[in-house]
Amino acid sequence: MSEQLKNNQSPENNGEQLALDDGRRVKVLSPGMMVFKRFIRNKLAIAGICILIFMFLFSFLGGVLSPYRQDQVFYKVDAANKEYASAVVNTDYRFTTADGNTLPTMVRATFNSQVKGREGNEITFTADNTVYTAVKVDDGFYLIMAGEDLGTVTVLGKIADVKPAGNKEISEELKAAAVAAVQAGQSAFELNEITYTLTPGKAKSYNLSGMSEVALASMLNFDALDAQYTGLTSNYEFCRDCETAMHAGESNFESGGTAYQLEIEDETTATVKNAAGEEIVSVSNIIVRPVVSGTALSAGYREAAIEAIMDRQTAFEYVNAEGNTEKHTIQMRGNNYIISTEQQTYLIDMYAPPSAEHLLGTDDHGMDVLTRLMYGGRISLMVGFIVMILENIIGVIIGGVSGYFGGWVDTLLMRFVDLFNSIPYYPMMIIAGAIMDSLEVNPYTRLYLMMAIMGIMGWTGVARVVRGQILSLREQDFMVATEATGIPVSRRIFRHLVPNVMPLLIVQATMGLGGIILTEATLSFLGLGIKYPLASWGSIINSSSNIYVMTNCWYLWIPAGLLIVLTVLGFNFVGDGLRDAFDPKMKR
Amino acid sequence: MKSMSETGSNVLEVRNLCKYFPIKAGLFGRVVGHVHAVENVSFTLKRGTTMGLVGESGCGKTTVGKTLLNLTPKTSGEVIFNGNVHLDQLSSRQLRAFRPKIQIIFQDPYASLSPRLPVGEIIGEAVREHHLVPDSELNDYVSRIMKSCGLFDYQKDRYPHEFSGGQRQRICIARAIALNPDFIVCDEPVSALDVSIQAQIINLLEDLQKEFNLTYLFISHDLSVVQHISDTVGVMYLGNMVEYADKTEIFANPLHPYTKALFSAIPIPDPTVKMNRIILEGSIPSPSNPPSGCKFHTRCRECRGVCAKSAPRTMNMGNGHTVACHIYDPESGYDREKA
Repeated sequence: MSEQLKNNQSPENNGEQLALDDGRRVKVLSPGMMVFKRFIRNKLAIAGICILIFMFLFSFLGGVLSPYRQDQVFYKVDAANKEYASAVVNTDYRFTTADGNTLPTMVRATFNSQVKGREGNEITFTADNTVYTAVKVDDGFYLIMAGEDLGTVTVLGKIADVKPAGNKEISEELKAAAVAAVQAGQSAFELNEITYTLTPGKAKSYNLSGMSEVALASMLNFDALDAQYTGLTSNYEFCRDCETAMHAGESNFESGGTAYQLEIEDETTATVKNAAGEEIVSVSNIIVRPVVSGTALSAGYREAAIEAIMDRQTAFEYVNAEGNTEKHTIQMRGNNYIISTEQQTYLIDMYAPPSAEHLLGTDDHGMDVLTRLMYGGRISLMVGFIVMILENIIGVIIGGVSGYFGGWVDTLLMRFVDLFNSIPYYPMMIIAGAIMDSLEVNPYTRLYLMMAIMGIMGWTGVARVVRGQILSLREQDFMVATEATGIPVSRRIFRHLVPNVMPLLIVQATMGLGGIILTEATLSFLGLGIKYPLASWGSIINSSSNIYVMTNCWYLWIPAGLLIVLTVLGFNFVGDGLRDAFDPKMKR
Repeated sequence: MKSMSETGSNVLEVRNLCKYFPIKAGLFGRVVGHVHAVENVSFTLKRGTTMGLVGESGCGKTTVGKTLLNLTPKTSGEVIFNGNVHLDQLSSRQLRAFRPKIQIIFQDPYASLSPRLPVGEIIGEAVREHHLVPDSELNDYVSRIMKSCGLFDYQKDRYPHEFSGGQRQRICIARAIALNPDFIVCDEPVSALDVSIQAQIINLLEDLQKEFNLTYLFISHDLSVVQHISDTVGVMYLGNMVEYADKTEIFANPLHPYTKALFSAIPIPDPTVKMNRIILEGSIPSPSNPPSGCKFHTRCRECRGVCAKSAPRTMNMGNGHTVACHIYDPESGYDREKA
């Protein structure tokens, strides 16, 4: 036949002259070609086709070309100054005890109250039934001694006996001095710079008590520069010797049989080096504490901070363990210094305005809106097409059977259609959405289920149209003619009926597609449809349901809305164009 | 194409054909009555002849045609093709195989062609389906048929909407002819066409009849066309065949009062001749509730008492001229009653 066609179209080849009105001069057009020609003459339809082609390229090609994934979350570096540490110039005494225990609270409180405004070199006070003597070494440095029961001295004429208390040991020299003092009737005596007192006890005996060093009170703070020296900072002897040396202005001292070097910077700051010249402990009256609990400040950092404070600087740099330079600023606030740093915190980049990286900004999840739109387009178009195909398959089968066979089959099926039509659509979808929510169906299964439900709910219109069309076609003379010429039923349906229903179906389906996309968008907008991390145009608009986004982030919802409007418009234009093209009776 | 030896044999015998359409009412489609579309129609058709079937609109002409071909099942009576084929006794497969032998041409050439098939396919489809010619020769065969129907070969690939009414009717004729039928029901084939085209189609039908030895049942309300083409003529009124005779006989000597009235309406192309028209009063009664006795008695000028009481018998007036009227039945008692 096609050969025949060619010959007809090029009659010159036959060497035959054709008259002007010869039918062979006229091009032969099949109904399909005629429809196509009429269609492309329709400008609106072409506009619709262009819109749809753009949408498909945008959705299906765009998703491939986009550098981002649909669920890729973007972060931004927050350069905010955060309080990192606080430093305080110590004005309280810190107590280091000789036995490593803490000094009783009463003692500390009494000392603190007594020491204020006191000029003298020695303060004696009583706390907890013990007599304490605090000896001032220098400003802010006291050695606290406690009166200790050493034993009992009994003198009976020429016989004198010293009985140590508990497990104390009393040297012979002390014994002799004590006996001499008793015999001399003294109540106190000094030996080796230690003052001993004798208090009369029962039956000619005297209680001998001596002062012993129990603690030192200091305003300085010892920080070990290395973990292995942590023990030193709470070591009484070390602290005493170190601080004594410091106040004396010496550059060397010995403690516990070890020699140390002392590098004094000023009255309150110094660095202790060991014999090898390593800096091991820093001494300062400034205490640096981290602001955020649970973080530890390295000794190096503390040293750097103290140095900066001492030098009255407002900013300093510190090279941390990873080798990065951290910038810190110091702010004075009363006695406190607040050290802030520009911390590199990663935040989800929400509601970012359009930029070169994100042409349409980012959404409330910190995802690229343009990429979301592309992937959302896939879902929206896919939902549209699959639901449309589903609706048409069910509708054509039921409507076709109903129309072709008629009679009670028709009645039954049409009542079935009525039944389906009387199910309210949106309440049904809302219930289905709620059920899927409560069952925590995963987003992909949810997508398929939603398409199935929409298809099952929407086929009735197609069925009615097909049934009506087939009912009327069935009675047409050309269908009677096929029966009269003895053409089998299957061929009658597929060769004569279906091609005649097809145009209507195509138009219906195209027009319906827009509606389905709108329905899906509505459901997704209401939060019943497509769920995160999947996107659809409707669910993208859903994020603008909060007023902040509505007013400030136009790039979140206007593009999605435009895409929906354009796509629906495109489908409707194409549907209109197809309808006009299929219906040759309608002249424009 | 057909062996001429069969000429003269009966292609079709119709005996007491009845067709009632049920009238349904109510929710469950209860049958409340019947439309008596065709009642007791009998005739025979010889091979190579044409029978004209005339009558007013709604008298059941088309129903006779469709019922003959079993396109609508008959209610009762017998339709016998070629002496022994009863369509209603065939299985659906046998019926389908027999279909090519009996064809129909419809009144409306616009509705009777599938708009989405090219003409060549419309004509050749059933031929291929019934394997009437080898597939390799189908194209040539269709060309030949189209040529004999006055269509051109190059029109094979065109679609029905590109043709005029007359051309479409030729396509319909070609579709019927292509199946090599014995018998064709022409259901008012020219009534939708203008007069010049009518003549072409009538001539085509006559030419094809000669060429293929066809038998026509020519249904029409156009008496001059029937007069031209028919060999025998049947006149129907309200589902009944009231008169049947040879063409020359019936036009020269119409017996039934209805036939007389009908034929008096044929225009005479001569302004000087005074037409003696018989004007029928009233309209055709409802076929669902036909009048008692002779169905025509409500409008008959010759009506007498017996006409309303009993249905007339069909009388043979000789030469195959039959008429169903009490006037010609000596036993009816019509003559004894006063006019």
